[in-house]
Amino acid sequence: MADLLELRSVSAAYGRIQAISGISLKVPEGAIIALLGANGAGKTTTLNTISRLVPVTSGSILFEGKPIERASSHAVVRAGISQVPEGREVFRDMSVAENLEMGAHGRNDRAGIRSDIERAFDYFPILKERIAQKAGTLSGGEQQMLVIARALMARPRVLLLDEPSLGLSPLLVEKIFSIIRRLNADGLSILLVEQNASVALGASSYAYILENGEVAVEGTSADLKQDDAVRRSYIG
Amino acid sequence: MDLELAILFLQQGLVSGLVIGSVYALLALSIVMIFKTSEVPNFAAGEVFMAAAYCALFLMVFRALPVWLAIPLTLATSFLVAALFRRGVLTQVAKASGSPVNLVIATLGLSYVLKGLVRRTGYGDTPRSFPALVSTDSVMIGQASLTRLDMAIFVAAVVVMAAVFWLFAYTKVGRSMRAVGMNPKAARLMGVNIERVHMLVWGLSAVISAIAALLIAPKILMTAEMGSVVTMAFAAAIVGGFTSLPGAVVGGFVIGIVENLVGLFISSRAIVVAPFLVIMLVLIFRPQGLFGGRFAIKKV
Repeated sequence: MADLLELRSVSAAYGRIQAISGISLKVPEGAIIALLGANGAGKTTTLNTISRLVPVTSGSILFEGKPIERASSHAVVRAGISQVPEGREVFRDMSVAENLEMGAHGRNDRAGIRSDIERAFDYFPILKERIAQKAGTLSGGEQQMLVIARALMARPRVLLLDEPSLGLSPLLVEKIFSIIRRLNADGLSILLVEQNASVALGASSYAYILENGEVAVEGTSADLKQDDAVRRSYIG
Repeated sequence: MDLELAILFLQQGLVSGLVIGSVYALLALSIVMIFKTSEVPNFAAGEVFMAAAYCALFLMVFRALPVWLAIPLTLATSFLVAALFRRGVLTQVAKASGSPVNLVIATLGLSYVLKGLVRRTGYGDTPRSFPALVSTDSVMIGQASLTRLDMAIFVAAVVVMAAVFWLFAYTKVGRSMRAVGMNPKAARLMGVNIERVHMLVWGLSAVISAIAALLIAPKILMTAEMGSVVTMAFAAAIVGGFTSLPGAVVGGFVIGIVENLVGLFISSRAIVVAPFLVIMLVLIFRPQGLFGGRFAIKKV
C-alpha cells in the first residue's frame, strides 16, 4: 500500500523549546497507525505539527507524496488531513448542527454537506437527537462523538485522532473505538494518539512509541503487544 | 416638579435617549465584536470614529465629492485602514510576544496616530460642522420633540444593527467569526483562516464606527477630540456584558436614556457622571453585565 502521509525526520519547536526531534513515521493508505508514549513525549505536538499549528524546524512532511511542511493550517485541512484535538474542543455556544457545519468550513457544496451530516448521524445516531442543543451542554462522550463527526465533515483522507478515550468510561471507549474501526473499514486512514496503549495496539496495525520527542520503539502492533519491555512501560 | 412636566420630561428623555443611545450602541457593537474575537479592547475605537468623520468631511467639503461617492469611499477607507492595522501591526505584535497587554498598547498607539494625522491636516483646528443630509425640521412623537435628522439617525442605526446580527447569526463568515471567538484552536483545525477573520472583524468594526460617525457628525461640532464619546460606548459595552452583541445594543440604549433623564430631571452638569453610576450599579449587582453569561473559569 502507498503511504498517504509520511514524516521524514521532522523536528519542531515552540519558540526556542525543542518539542520533537527527528521523528519519522508513515501512515499507509487504509491503515490505523498508533502513536504511543507517556505524557509530554511529543504525541500531541506531532499531530499539531502535521496540522501546521506548530512550525517545523527541519525535516519534511509528505501528504500524497507532496511536501506540506510549509503549508498553512487551512491548506492542510483542505488537502485532506483533519485533526480531532484532545480534550473535546467543541464550539460550546453553537448548536450541534452549527458545529458540524463548521467542520465543512472549506466546502461550498451545500447538497454534499447536507448528505454528509446525514452520514455523520449514521455513525453517531445520538447526535441527531441533540441536533439543536448547544454543544457545551452535551455529555463528555457525546462531545467526543461530535468532534469526530465534525472532523469528518471536511471529508478527510487522513484523520489525526488525539486521545479519543480520555476521560471516558470503558463502555464508551469501546463504543468510540468500534466507530473508529468502522470509519477505517469505510476507507479512512487514521493516525491515533493514545495513552491507553492496550486499546490502541488492539485497534492499530503498526505503532510508534515516543520518548522525549523521539521515536524510541516501533513495530507491528501485534509484536509490540508481546514485547515485555513495552508491556511493562506502557500497558502495565 | 409637577406630574405633567415629569411625564413630558420622561417622554423627551426616552426619545432623545434612544437617538443618542443608538449611536452609542453602534460604537459599543464595534468594540464588542473585536473583543469577542480577539479579547483585545480596542482603545482606538474613538479615534477610528473621529478619523472617519474627518475623512467624510474632507471628501465632501474640501474635495466637493457628491454624497453618494463620499460615503462609500469613507466606509471603504475605514475598512482598509483597520484591516491593514490588524494585519500589519497587531499580527506582528502578537508574533513577537503572546502577551495581550502589548496588543492593547498597540491599539492605544493607533489612537495617537489617527489623532495626530487629523491634527496634522489642520481641519481639526477649528470646530466644524458637517453638512446635514436630512433636514432638521422638528417632528413630535407623543409630547417629545425630535428632528427629522434624529429619526434618520435612529432608523439607520437600527438597520445597521439588524444587518450585523444577521451577519453573525446566519452567514458562514459570521459563523466563523463566532467560532474564532469561542475556540480559536478548533477554528484553525476546521480550516478557518484566522488571520483573515481578524482582518474582516477589524474592518467591519471600523465600518460600523464610521457609520456612527456619519450619523452623529451633523448633530455635533467636530473636533479632533470628538472620539472621547467612546467612553459612553465602553460604558454601554460593560453594561451589556462586553462579549454580547445584543448586550452592547441594550447597553447603548440604557446609557443614552439614563444620560438624558439625568440631564432633564437632575442637572445637565450631572450628565457626565451618569454612565459611571450605571457602570458601578451593574458591576456591583450583576458583574457579568446584563447579557453576559455565567463566569467561566478558563482553561489555560
